[in-house]
Amino acid sequence: MPESWLRAFIAAGRTVGLNYAFLLDARERASWLRGIALTAELSVLTILCSLLVGIALAGLLTSGRPWLARPARAFVELMRNTPTLVQIYCAFFVLNMLLNQLVGGAQNNPLTAYAWAVIVLSTHYGAYHAEALRAGIEAVPRAMRESAISLGFSRRELLAHVELPLAFRFALPSLFNNFVDVVKSTTLASAIAVGEVTYASLMIWVERDNVLEMMILIFLVYGVLTLLVSRLGILLENRLRMPGYGH
Amino acid sequence: MPPAHQPPERPPLVELRQVHLSFGSNHVLKGIDLNVRKGDAVSIIGPSGSGKSTILRCINGLLTPERGEVVVGDTPVHALRTEAERIALRKRIGFVFQQYNLFPHLTVLENIVLAPVRILGVARETAEREARELLAKVRLADKIDAYPGQLSGGQQQRVAIARALAMHPELVLFDEVTSALDPETVGEVLSVIRQLVEDGMTCLLVTHEMRFAEEVSHEIVFTDGGEIVERGTPRDIFHAPRSPRTHAFINGLRN
Ligand SMILES: Nc1ncnc2c1ncn2[C@@H]1O[C@H](COP(=O)(O)OP(=O)(O)O)[C@@H](O)[C@H]1O
Ligand SMILES: [Mg+2]
Repeated sequence: MPESWLRAFIAAGRTVGLNYAFLLDARERASWLRGIALTAELSVLTILCSLLVGIALAGLLTSGRPWLARPARAFVELMRNTPTLVQIYCAFFVLNMLLNQLVGGAQNNPLTAYAWAVIVLSTHYGAYHAEALRAGIEAVPRAMRESAISLGFSRRELLAHVELPLAFRFALPSLFNNFVDVVKSTTLASAIAVGEVTYASLMIWVERDNVLEMMILIFLVYGVLTLLVSRLGILLENRLRMPGYGH
Repeated sequence: MPPAHQPPERPPLVELRQVHLSFGSNHVLKGIDLNVRKGDAVSIIGPSGSGKSTILRCINGLLTPERGEVVVGDTPVHALRTEAERIALRKRIGFVFQQYNLFPHLTVLENIVLAPVRILGVARETAEREARELLAKVRLADKIDAYPGQLSGGQQQRVAIARALAMHPELVLFDEVTSALDPETVGEVLSVIRQLVEDGMTCLLVTHEMRFAEEVSHEIVFTDGGEIVERGTPRDIFHAPRSPRTHAFINGLRN
């Protein structure tokens, strides 16, 4: 049944001059579907990890302690002011090599290209999330902070129970904007041969010379993923709305 | 008239001795002496900017005076050095602010149980049961699941009082808690405070509600320009002030 649908789709493509024959090749189809799965997985993982990085950095940035805030600020600026692709190259070709030497050979190195992509993209976007969260934390009224402190909250409890929940709500639109960027940025992992959808498509079009066809599919994949992320953002915004507060 | 059932010599719960504090070149407190005995209600009155809020903030360690002593129970607040010590102090002192400052992302119930559960480590069920009792006491039992943004100012302020009481404080500081309220909701908040005072809770109030202060306070303290100008019974301060500054302030309000 799916096989016949596939054939119908390919035939329909052919009538408008689009070559999707690769879908009938089990090996090519599998690697392309795996590419989509990897892109989705990479997106979800990077969104979660980058959020953790962002929360940690925002905590440092707003700690009020210069010896914590200054290095965090320097890190955020470094991340935001160098190209993501360069960061990925630097991590994979420099840090990874150093790590190889450290552990005595590539066979002992637990970090794959995929892992490096997650690490670099998470720290890169973590810096952007940190800025959004910092702005959110700073939007928490001073008086609110004072009343929590008067109840006996420590600095950490204040952050966890008051500042972050509020900052997260204030920062939600910016955060989801960043998450959409994260999804799109996973394509950069193809530069270090992670077989996500861009890389998988590239492998197919060099064989079959069907660039346009693969491009259309790539647009569709990213379109659907980014749409899902922004829908989730709207859902969450409604879910976390504070009744009667500023609306 | 304040209840007269207390024995005459009760130990002071709060004691300030020659407290000085400046913000930069702004000398805000110029040698404050203050005593609040356990079970008393003391009201601080005085013009805006005279340092009333600053006094309250010195008592729970939000501010540290440059000179002088602040003692709460056995705790020398002026000498506390670590955050942990200040936290231990703040758990014992309720603070209710002009702007309620409820947590807008939490329901009324969650606002009240958050600190007991997270900070005192009270079991959740116990904290919830007490929260219900406190809400009944401030006559807001039906608002338990509402969010602060859905309540009137007077209702929010009563929740803020319940939130402070949920920590079982030895002392509650009130900083102009009715100043931001619509006139029609002031009464409901004042009656909650009146009940607290009658129950024997030690209260230090900064207020502009002179009639209320006169009615509930055991002692009135008049501050002006960072000094305590005069202190005495409500009758003395409101009807026979010794200082011309007190006299001018009280008369200024009456007219
Ligand atoms: N955090 C602060 N930083 C600088 N100045 C302050 C601060 N808090 C209060 N002040 C100043 O201290 C003085 C007394 O303030 P406050 O204690 O709030 O007076 P009151 O409560 O009697 O109106 C005012 O001049 C005010 O501007
Ligand atoms: Mg004040």
